[in-house]
Amino acid sequence: MSADEFDPMIERLFAQSPRLADEALFLATLQARMEKQSRWRVLALTAAGLVGGALAIREGLSVNFAPGGETTLDQGIRAAAATAQGAAQSGLDSLGVGSVDLSSGTGVLAFWIVAGAMAAVLAAGAARLSQDV
Amino acid sequence: MVKTLRDFHDVELAAQAAAGGRREYGELVRRHGSAVRGLLRRMGATPSLSDDVAQDAFLQGFQRCSEFRGQGTFAGWIKKIAARLYLKRVAKEARYVAEVETDQADVVVDRGGLMDLDDALKTLNETERVCVSLCHGAGMSHPEIAAAMNLPLGTVKSHVKRGLDKLRARLQPAQGDGRSIHVG
Repeated sequence: MSADEFDPMIERLFAQSPRLADEALFLATLQARMEKQSRWRVLALTAAGLVGGALAIREGLSVNFAPGGETTLDQGIRAAAATAQGAAQSGLDSLGVGSVDLSSGTGVLAFWIVAGAMAAVLAAGAARLSQDV
Repeated sequence: MVKTLRDFHDVELAAQAAAGGRREYGELVRRHGSAVRGLLRRMGATPSLSDDVAQDAFLQGFQRCSEFRGQGTFAGWIKKIAARLYLKRVAKEARYVAEVETDQADVVVDRGGLMDLDDALKTLNETERVCVSLCHGAGMSHPEIAAAMNLPLGTVKSHVKRGLDKLRARLQPAQGDGRSIHVG
C-alpha cells in the first residue's frame, strides 16, 4: 500500500472512534461540574459586587463636601500612592539605583514608564497564557 | 415540524453554547465525547486519565465556545484542546521524554483481516504514538505538534514517519496465510 493510499486510510481509522458505553455517565459528570463551576462564579461575582457596593456606599457617605476641603477618597488615594512610591523606592535601593528619586519630576516619570511597561508585559503574558491551550 | 437538538449542526449548537446554552453544549458533548476520549486513549492515556482530561477539555471548550466560528469541525477543535491539555498533564508528571525506548508488548495480529488500529498503535513507542495521534487523530500540523510537545520540527517529522511506517506494516492486509501470529 502506498503512502498516498495509506495516509487517508489512517485518518479514516482515527475518525472511526467507537462510542463508549458510559457516555451518558460522562455527560452527566460534566454537566454536574459545569453546574458547580457556574454556582461558584455566581457566588464570587455576588460577593465582589456586595463588597464593592459596600465600599462605594461607605466612601460616598464619608465624602467631605466642604468647599476646598479634602475628601477621604483623596486622602486614601494619596496614601496608596505614597505607599506604592515607598515600595518602589526601596526596590530601587535594593537594585543599587537608589539615586533615582521617585518624588522628583523625572523620578516620577521614570516610575510611571516602568509601571506602564510592567503592566504591558503582564498583559502580554496573560494574553499568551490564554492562547496557550 | 419542531427541530430537536439532534437536528442542529455542530456550528449552530456551538453558537448557542457560546451564548450560554448548556443543553446545546450537552448535545455536542454527547456527539463528540467518545471520540475525544478515544483519541486520548490512543495517545496513551489510561481510561481514567482520558476521561479526566476530556472533562477538562469540554469545560474549557464551553468557556471558549465563542472562539469556535466554524473553521474546521467542532470535533477537530475540541480534540486539539484535549490533546494539548493531555500533553501538558503528561509534561507536568514528567512522564514524557523526547526519546522513549520501544516497549512493544506482545500484540496478536489477526492476519485473517486487518489489525485493529488501537492494537497497532500499541506497537509504537510513546512518542511515535502521540505524534501520529496528534497528526492524524487531532489534525494538528507538524509545526503545531512541535510547539505543543516542545520538540524540534525535524524530530516530530521523523516520529510521525516512523510511526506511520510501523502502522503500515501492521495494518496492511496480509499477503499470505490467515493465521494469527505474535509480533513483538
